[in-house]
Amino acid sequence: MAQITFDSVSKTYEGGYAAVRDLDLDIKDGEFMVLVGPSGCGKSTALRMIAGLEEITGGELRINGRIANGLAPRDRDIAMVFQSYALYPHLTVAQNIGFGLRTRQVDRATIDRKVRETAELLELTEYLGRKPAKLSGGQRQRVAMGRALVRSPNAFLMDEPLSNLDARLRGQMRSEIAKLQRMTAVTTIYVTHDQVEAMTMGDRVAVMNRGTIQQLDTPRALYDRPKNLFVASFIGSPPMNFLRGTVEAAEGPAVRLGDTLLRLDPRHAGLGQGRPVILGIRPEAMRVGGDSGGLSATAAFVEDLGATLLLHLENAELDIVPPNVAEDDVDLNVVRPRLRAVTEGTARIARDEVVRLAVAPEAIHVFDPASGEAL
Amino acid sequence: MSSLALKHNIARRTALLVITILFLLPVAWLISTAWKSSDDIFSIPPGLLFNPSLTQFNSVFAYFDVWSLLRSSVIISAGTVVLSLLLGIPAGYALARSTSKAAIGFAYFFLAIRMVPAVAALIPFYLMMRDLGLLGTWWSVVIINTMLNTAFVTWMMFSYFRAMPRDLEEAAMTDGCTQLGSFFKVAIPSARSGIIASVLFCVMFSWNDFLYPMFLTRLDTKPLSVALLTAYGTKDITWGTLGALAHFSTIPIVLMALFLNRYFVQGATAGVH
Repeated sequence: MAQITFDSVSKTYEGGYAAVRDLDLDIKDGEFMVLVGPSGCGKSTALRMIAGLEEITGGELRINGRIANGLAPRDRDIAMVFQSYALYPHLTVAQNIGFGLRTRQVDRATIDRKVRETAELLELTEYLGRKPAKLSGGQRQRVAMGRALVRSPNAFLMDEPLSNLDARLRGQMRSEIAKLQRMTAVTTIYVTHDQVEAMTMGDRVAVMNRGTIQQLDTPRALYDRPKNLFVASFIGSPPMNFLRGTVEAAEGPAVRLGDTLLRLDPRHAGLGQGRPVILGIRPEAMRVGGDSGGLSATAAFVEDLGATLLLHLENAELDIVPPNVAEDDVDLNVVRPRLRAVTEGTARIARDEVVRLAVAPEAIHVFDPASGEAL
Repeated sequence: MSSLALKHNIARRTALLVITILFLLPVAWLISTAWKSSDDIFSIPPGLLFNPSLTQFNSVFAYFDVWSLLRSSVIISAGTVVLSLLLGIPAGYALARSTSKAAIGFAYFFLAIRMVPAVAALIPFYLMMRDLGLLGTWWSVVIINTMLNTAFVTWMMFSYFRAMPRDLEEAAMTDGCTQLGSFFKVAIPSARSGIIASVLFCVMFSWNDFLYPMFLTRLDTKPLSVALLTAYGTKDITWGTLGALAHFSTIPIVLMALFLNRYFVQGATAGVH
């Protein structure tokens, strides 16, 4: 069991590129901590620092209160699951799982017993004699998990362990890993770029960008109260809509967006008249067919997802800011940003139909356009 | 199979057959020569049917100490292989895992050593061996062959290790290995086919090496490859004896290639870039 502390830890490469800057993070004993962010945000570097695979160029890393900056990987008693699984190709499944015990000179009988127990837990018993090349992707992933589990280490480090699996298997393994972690109560640090994994698995989630933590909070708090534009756009799928507007006081705080005036929550009463702001509204917070006073927009196209409809809406009056998150459709969105709204699958909305959208004042996030911070 | 695919297949197989015959004809001639009596060897047209005789083999055993020749060939090849791997594998690994940009340059420099014409190195090396008192010993041939083959093994293993994900060694280190331990327990076993291919190349190079042992060995240390030349008499060439002796020099290599063929192809193609 371990408590892991980053005390203004940095990693700067020889060329001057800073992968991690002044990272402060306190991971509690037994916690499931998720590091999430786009590629190149420093999350994997931070993880590899804990493993001892990446040299720390500044600050202190402590494991159980002991400075670990210069500790060799094998002296940290930490197990890591790699994105590529990194299974030893020349060893059988059983030998792969037992490898860490063998290097630590555990006696044969104990190794055999532990390997069998672990294999049973992961439903790998019938594959114990096979080589990794003869396994499916999901089975390889489970062997990689087994290799970590069998040792009862100080901490589990997982570097995008599910990204090589197909969607169905990923969903299954997601809950499986979360369950195993609760069962073993071993401190786990999990790196992913997938915000769904971050939301569903972590006790706490650190959203990272450009080598620093943007926000460290529970998944619910990240979703409900994002601290800045980056977190707001990264957490949630489909991503939040952002609209430029100016503050206007009617009976209570409100924001003018083109022709429409959107009412804000009373907590925003302190915003100065005429102040430019960016509003953040989640697609699922938009109620289609609302009464007057809401936004109106034309359906550019409708994605029928079965349970829900995802509407892509246009309105030339609105100044829509594209979310600054790398997504598949990001290019399209930058060229021609659209509003997105989610509604029930039973609703019948055709292309080019004008849709009225109501938004509850408490569901509107307000950000400062210059700093990107939540107001 | 469609008729087009069938035609394609027939054409391809015919081409393969022609090429194979072309390559195997000299070998077939060599082998048949060894089993013919001296009269049959020069019969024109060459007879496809003949009474196999052991005369040529008998004269080989009468004139040559075949076992001594075989022993020399085996010692020279084995010594070269062991030393080349011992030096070349760690060197290739170190270059592959180096973060220096010069590493690739070094690796190709090593390959270039292998391309140095053998004759160019012969005279200085001969003098060095003479001064060291190693002239005429197996050591002299083993050392020069090791030098050339280590260069090749280094380059080959460099390509191989570079293509191998670093994750494997990192996993071994988090699993409790030292850096050296991860090299021995994970990197080397994972590179098995590359190593076997290196062994094959080294054996082929040193088993077939003629020039160096020709000048560096004496009567009791000379290998098969050199002995083959002595079948050339001063007045004529005893083709039959040559053919029979060639059996001993060819069969071990052919057998080895047959058994390790799988690794040979894998090693020669994987990771080379």
